[in-house]
Amino acid sequence: MASVDSVLPEAFPTQPIQYLSRTRAWYSALGYEPYRWPHHDQVPFAPLAKPLAESRLGLVTTAAPLQADTGDQGPGAAYNGSAKFFDVYTSPTDDPADVRISHIGYDRIHSKADDANTWLPLTRLNEAVEAGRLGSLTARFYGAPTVRRVRSTTETHAPEIIQALRDDGADVALLVPT
Amino acid sequence: MSLIADAIEKAGIPTVVMGAARDIVEHVGVPRFAFSDVPLGNSAGLPHDVDSQREVLEYALRLFESAFAPRTTVQTPARWNDGDHSWKHDFMNLEQSSEEKRAKAKAEFERQKDLANLKR
Repeated sequence: MASVDSVLPEAFPTQPIQYLSRTRAWYSALGYEPYRWPHHDQVPFAPLAKPLAESRLGLVTTAAPLQADTGDQGPGAAYNGSAKFFDVYTSPTDDPADVRISHIGYDRIHSKADDANTWLPLTRLNEAVEAGRLGSLTARFYGAPTVRRVRSTTETHAPEIIQALRDDGADVALLVPT
Repeated sequence: MSLIADAIEKAGIPTVVMGAARDIVEHVGVPRFAFSDVPLGNSAGLPHDVDSQREVLEYALRLFESAFAPRTTVQTPARWNDGDHSWKHDFMNLEQSSEEKRAKAKAEFERQKDLANLKR
C-alpha cells in the first residue's frame, strides 16, 4: 500500500513532489525492485574562470532526436520506449535537430510537451548571446542517454560528453534533464 | 543527468542543472541547481511563455556567477497554473489508482521496456 509520504501531504501543498518516495511506492506496487538512486557524499565545485559574457556555454539535454518510423513522438504522445537512444549524440546549435521527450516519463497529465523551449532552451540561450549576457554557445549541443545504469553513464556517456565539451571549447555547461 | 554534472564539474567545467525533480537532484547531489516547481518536462520555463523561459535561464546563469559552494539550489519564480498546486496530486499517485489501472500500467511499462531494449 502507499506509504504515508508517497502522496502530497494536504497540509503542505507548496512542497515540491517527493519523487523519490512516489516513484518507489509506484514501482513497488507494480512489483518492481525500487531503483536505487546514486548519492554523492562529496560534490565537486569548479569556480567560474571568467565572466559569463566571455564564456562559451555547452548545452546538455536528455531529449531525443525525432526518429521517423518509431511511433508518435509529438505533443502529448504516450511514453514511447522506441524513441529512446543509447549513445551520446551531438547536434549543431545553429541548425539543431528536432528533439522530443516522448521517451521520458515527464508529467503527461499536466503538460502537453508542445513547446520545445521548455526542455531545450537554445532560442533563449541565443538571445542571451545576442544581448551580450553570455559569450557564445558551443557549435554543438550534446544528448545524454537516460539509461538507468550508473556505469554506462559514468564510464561511457559522461566521458564522451566531457570530451565533446572540451573539443568545442566549452567554459561552462548547462544541463537540462527532462 | 546529475551524474553527468558531477563528472563535468570534476573535469573543471562549471555546471548548472536546470531541473524540476528537486528531491532527486539534491539526493544525487550536484554543484548548482536551478529548480523550478513545475511538472516534469518544463524545467527550462513555462510553455509558450517567453518571459518565464528568459527568467528561468537568467536564474541559471546567475548561479554560475553567484554560487560559492556545491549543492547550491535556487528556486526560480516559475509557477504552474498561477500557483495552483493541485497538479502535484496526480503524478504516480498510488492513492488515486486502482489495481486494474496499475496492472495496465505494468503491462504497458513492460511493453515499452521491450521496445526500448530492441534498440540497444
